[in-house]
Amino acid sequence: MDAWRRLKKNRMAIFGMALVIFYSLLSLLAAILPIHSFKHQVLDHQYLPPSLTKTAGELLYERQENTSMDAAKNEGRNELNEKEKEELSVLKQRIENETMVFDGKTVKVHQKRYFLGTDALGRDLLARIIYGGQVSISIGLVGTLTAVLIGLIIGAMAGYLGRSFDYIAMRIVDIMYGLPYMLLVIIFMAIFGRNVINLFLCLALVSWLTLARVVRGQIISLKNSEFVQAARVVGASTGRIVFRHLVPNTLGVVVVFTTLQIPSFILMESFLSYLGLGVQAPLASWGSLVRDGVDGMKSYPWLLFFPGLTMTVFLFSMNFLGDGLRDALDPQSKNRL
Amino acid sequence: MTKYVIQRFLGLIPTLFVIITLSFFIIRIAPGGPFSYERALPKQVLENIEKRYHLDESLLVQYGRYVLDILRGDLGPSFRYKDYDVNHYIKISLPNSLVLGLLSLSLAVILGISTGLISARRQNSTIDYLSMSVAVIGISVPLFVVGPVLMYFFAMKLNLLPTSGWIMSGDRWTTVLMPMATLTLPYFAYIARLSRASTLEVLQSDYVRTARAKGLSEPVIMFKHVLKGALLPVVSFLGPAFANIVTGSIVVETIFRIPGLGRYFVQSALNRDYTLIMGTVIVYSAILLIMNFIVDIIYGFMDPRISYR
Repeated sequence: MDAWRRLKKNRMAIFGMALVIFYSLLSLLAAILPIHSFKHQVLDHQYLPPSLTKTAGELLYERQENTSMDAAKNEGRNELNEKEKEELSVLKQRIENETMVFDGKTVKVHQKRYFLGTDALGRDLLARIIYGGQVSISIGLVGTLTAVLIGLIIGAMAGYLGRSFDYIAMRIVDIMYGLPYMLLVIIFMAIFGRNVINLFLCLALVSWLTLARVVRGQIISLKNSEFVQAARVVGASTGRIVFRHLVPNTLGVVVVFTTLQIPSFILMESFLSYLGLGVQAPLASWGSLVRDGVDGMKSYPWLLFFPGLTMTVFLFSMNFLGDGLRDALDPQSKNRL
Repeated sequence: MTKYVIQRFLGLIPTLFVIITLSFFIIRIAPGGPFSYERALPKQVLENIEKRYHLDESLLVQYGRYVLDILRGDLGPSFRYKDYDVNHYIKISLPNSLVLGLLSLSLAVILGISTGLISARRQNSTIDYLSMSVAVIGISVPLFVVGPVLMYFFAMKLNLLPTSGWIMSGDRWTTVLMPMATLTLPYFAYIARLSRASTLEVLQSDYVRTARAKGLSEPVIMFKHVLKGALLPVVSFLGPAFANIVTGSIVVETIFRIPGLGRYFVQSALNRDYTLIMGTVIVYSAILLIMNFIVDIIYGFMDPRISYR
């Protein structure tokens, strides 16, 4: 409770927490939010710019008008000729009447609004960012939890059992630390197929090392304390001592590690997705959205900026929350990074 | 001391060996091969090619052959690009990557440490808040967002800097600016935070108080006493930083089309160009291990509490 009071005083951390909650709600509720689908393609609507007020139809009409005007100006005319006017009125007709069927419902397709614009296939960017967030955040969360579980168990066992188990486990950790593991992960993903399960496995397998070390250190410093001796005296089993008495005492470190690990997990995932090795279409993650945006950024900058911004703000909030939690849970290390 | 250095250096060899073995088998166990194109080759042709590259032998024999080749300093021919051997590829692309990586890292170290020191000296001042906000942003924005955004503004909108080209291929020197800035930002940010935190800690330590009590001047205290203690965590961060710069440079080289080692790394892994991936991994790992080794030695020199035995 002390920790909570200290955390509440840290305004940036609370701000970060609020944003994290907001993001999580958006991804959790994505299915019932009034947004478009992330995979419905309306090819007419490709590369529509973001607009808060105009419908897709209005933007389409404007675009057509501008192209015709440019063409006319190139020919030295100040007004549109009959053919171009004809084309425009045909477009207007289509915009007013054309319908498409999505999920069994008939929709007046050009009445749609795309607040953040659309991508190369006429998909709504807002929906893709929200669903992409769902993928990114859940990979960050599940991956981190897996890493925490592995790190906690191995660290606790190594710390408590000591002797050869400790020696072997820590040598393995040392060797793995020395490996350029992102390179190995890249190779692994490129060769063994690019799917979400492989991604989890890969990243979780290389992320438990730090936690294992930290937990081991904590357990070693606690294992000769009186409450452990007391537990041993009343005949508690090794498993019970480790997981009921020792592990709960390391939870502070674990919580801090988890909050700081989630953003780095999301970064790694999006890094792989950026290289084309992460989640595959039609699924999206923030990394793959940025990648798609980079290709056409000169003409369609919103495709790069919105996903990039969304992602940065999330990582930013997670980092602030993590820093705040560390200060709150471990006041002695107040000035540490 | 000398004995420790030699021992530590010899210790690098088994680690490199583990890396070689691990990546060799990860690459080979996977289905598909360098010659499985979309349109299958005629059986006879495929057999001949495989014989030419010794792919028809058992995996262990191939492994042995490969290790012997490496010991002779030969990384083999590329499987995908005919008449192109991996040694040659590395010789032309490694300098580009090294220049980019070392420039960025030194810039990050110099800027980061000075920012950290200044922020700590004036804790809670405007400068402190400002530079620490920049640092958090630097840690949070992914490289592959920074790069394209810089490119969008400075090259496409303002036309100040060239979009592509590379200084070492004979283009203008300004081509180095954006890639360097992109790769520098996250490490600058991390080092600034790290050195700020450690400086704050050192400023409260007993030996700094003693120095103050002796009446030493402020510059002497800062540069002779504080700086040394504050640098230790930064030095130990340099090891992991190298590893991250390597992976980061893969992205930066792709974004800015720099003809470096990382540019074709992903593509060669997708192509199953066995020797080219292996060659790249070996060179990257060797660089990392040597850098870590150097960092360890420097650390020992700087911290008198660590003794070499």
